[in-house]
Amino acid sequence: MTDRTEMPVAEESLPGERQTPPAAPVKERAPKMRSGKTMNTVTKTVIYAILALYALVIIFPFLIVIITSFKTWQDAVSSEFSWVPPMGFTLEGYQEVFTYKASSDSTLPSLVNGFINTLLYVLPPTILGLLTSSISAYAFSKLRFRSKKWMYSLLLGTMMIPGTIMIVPQYVIYDSIGWINTPLPLMIPGMFGAAACVFFMRQFYSGIPDSLIEASKLDGLGYFGIFFRIMVPLAVPALLAQGLLGFIGGYNDYLGPLLYLHEDRLHTLQVALNNIADTYERRSNVVMAASIVALVPMLTVYFFTQRYFISGIVSSGLKD
Amino acid sequence: MEREIAENAADMTAIGANVPAEFDAATEAEPVLTKQAPANRPKKRRIDIEEIYGTLFAAIPLIGFCIFGLVPLILAFAMAFLDMGTGWDIAEAEWAGFDNFVYLFSTASDEVGISIFEAIGNTLILGISTFISQILALGIAYLLSRDIKGRGIWRIIYFIPYVCSVVAITIMWRYMFNPSYGIINQFLGNTDITNGAIDWTDDPAMFYVTINIISIWSGMGYGILLYTAALTNVNQSAIEAAEIDGAGAFTKFFRIVLPSISPTTFYLLIMGVIGMLQSFTITNVFDSSGGPDKHGITIVFFMYQYLYDWQNVGVASAASWVLAALILIVTLIQFIGSRRWVKYD
Repeated sequence: MTDRTEMPVAEESLPGERQTPPAAPVKERAPKMRSGKTMNTVTKTVIYAILALYALVIIFPFLIVIITSFKTWQDAVSSEFSWVPPMGFTLEGYQEVFTYKASSDSTLPSLVNGFINTLLYVLPPTILGLLTSSISAYAFSKLRFRSKKWMYSLLLGTMMIPGTIMIVPQYVIYDSIGWINTPLPLMIPGMFGAAACVFFMRQFYSGIPDSLIEASKLDGLGYFGIFFRIMVPLAVPALLAQGLLGFIGGYNDYLGPLLYLHEDRLHTLQVALNNIADTYERRSNVVMAASIVALVPMLTVYFFTQRYFISGIVSSGLKD
Repeated sequence: MEREIAENAADMTAIGANVPAEFDAATEAEPVLTKQAPANRPKKRRIDIEEIYGTLFAAIPLIGFCIFGLVPLILAFAMAFLDMGTGWDIAEAEWAGFDNFVYLFSTASDEVGISIFEAIGNTLILGISTFISQILALGIAYLLSRDIKGRGIWRIIYFIPYVCSVVAITIMWRYMFNPSYGIINQFLGNTDITNGAIDWTDDPAMFYVTINIISIWSGMGYGILLYTAALTNVNQSAIEAAEIDGAGAFTKFFRIVLPSISPTTFYLLIMGVIGMLQSFTITNVFDSSGGPDKHGITIVFFMYQYLYDWQNVGVASAASWVLAALILIVTLIQFIGSRRWVKYD
């Protein structure tokens, strides 16, 4: 990705040309911190050196881990690290990862099973939660009703409550209604939407001109019609950004699945990964292969969608 | 009509596209909206239907909160005064008064192995990373905001740890920190613990350092991202004016840049500290038994062990009280303190 300084904005589009909104670009103004004089070469070199060094600090561990995942376990725990292992590269670690089953009665390898479970648990609440959050945001931004103000304050207030102080009573409640050892505690609450998402989507919808909504009203669209036919299509980039943030949170969640799911067949990817790391303690090649397998899906999603990610985070983090 | 909608939609994209990317665009857009609203909207027509739909739509997340947030919240406070024996069955609860609190505060709890005070201490020491990573993130973001090439690429790289699961990151780093075969001790040239090599994983004091390094590495991306965005919005004319007055680089940074990004600093600080007080995953994955001398047992880890391993709901609830109070106090202090140094335009 290059600088998005000259990201075109749809302003020049011809009237009547239906355009899909450009993918929320991370718009960057021309570098602003630049002082009147241009920086001298020494300063520039130092800056690039620091940036490169930090990039190396980020990337280096991944290189080590990838190399290790292709080693034999003896080489993986050797006290002399080698970029080219003496015993040669091998897929042994990955073979182990894709055959290891937590119990004999499970049909799928534990990591694959965990991955499928994660998708099953995370996707429905992410999508449904996105819908409920944005319909609520639509009401907060475009509809008039008396209790709007205090309802919105209340909603924002709920964001301040730290989630972990509720895990004890939630566990007791879920236990009493038989939700322990089911994915329901991870799924159902999210389906009602998230305050942060409502907050973000409200910002977005507020930017949609009222004239557009009035016009569609005259066209005979009801409130649902306006929401689904006008608001949602216009908000696709914003929804994608929020959806991705929700998804990454669910995909990487650890405490929730650890608390509520106690059977191997129900485990999510993260819990399965941690179990593999415990089981194969000394065989680091297997453990590293498992980490890579667990990371690759999310990293792939990230590299293809990073601008949505980044815009979503910047705007939900900064708009207060 | 079709055409008009399409036209408006095209207009819309011009506004809409900016919103998520440009965090100040929404505020710019809002005055426009309030100006238009009274003119375009019929005042009385359909007000009742709108009232109903509006309330219904808006209420969905609040209903969710009432069921899955408010009820547990009330119960959380009640349960700290109940004795539920062993297990999670609320039907077996008996009134216990302040017994749970007395137990929580008086003993170096036999079950977990450390007292709640030590758990608080662990949480705070392990949370030093919050502040270090924020300062480092500001430094990197400041460099990124200079006139450099490839800003987008740098940022994509720096943000990678944020999208990686904490579980995978912790497992990776635990391997690299292994005293006898990890890359870090090999790099330092000594892999023999009996002979003075640093024991990153089992030495109680070094364990704190190790966990902090992992947290800094994985936590910086978020701060960099928000700081870069904030820095692009610093008022340029103020900086130029300072330059004319002969201000040096340090003066410019501390007198102009730092105050104008103070809301971002404050936001990151509040969220960082609230998150830090609730930390659990890194130390639990690193060593599920709690680490050397139980130094990895944070407050949430402590709660988790009472709730799940020891099935003592009363004490676990009392510990959540302590956590809630701690978060409340720290947040209040930060908000009060912020009046002195946070400058909103």
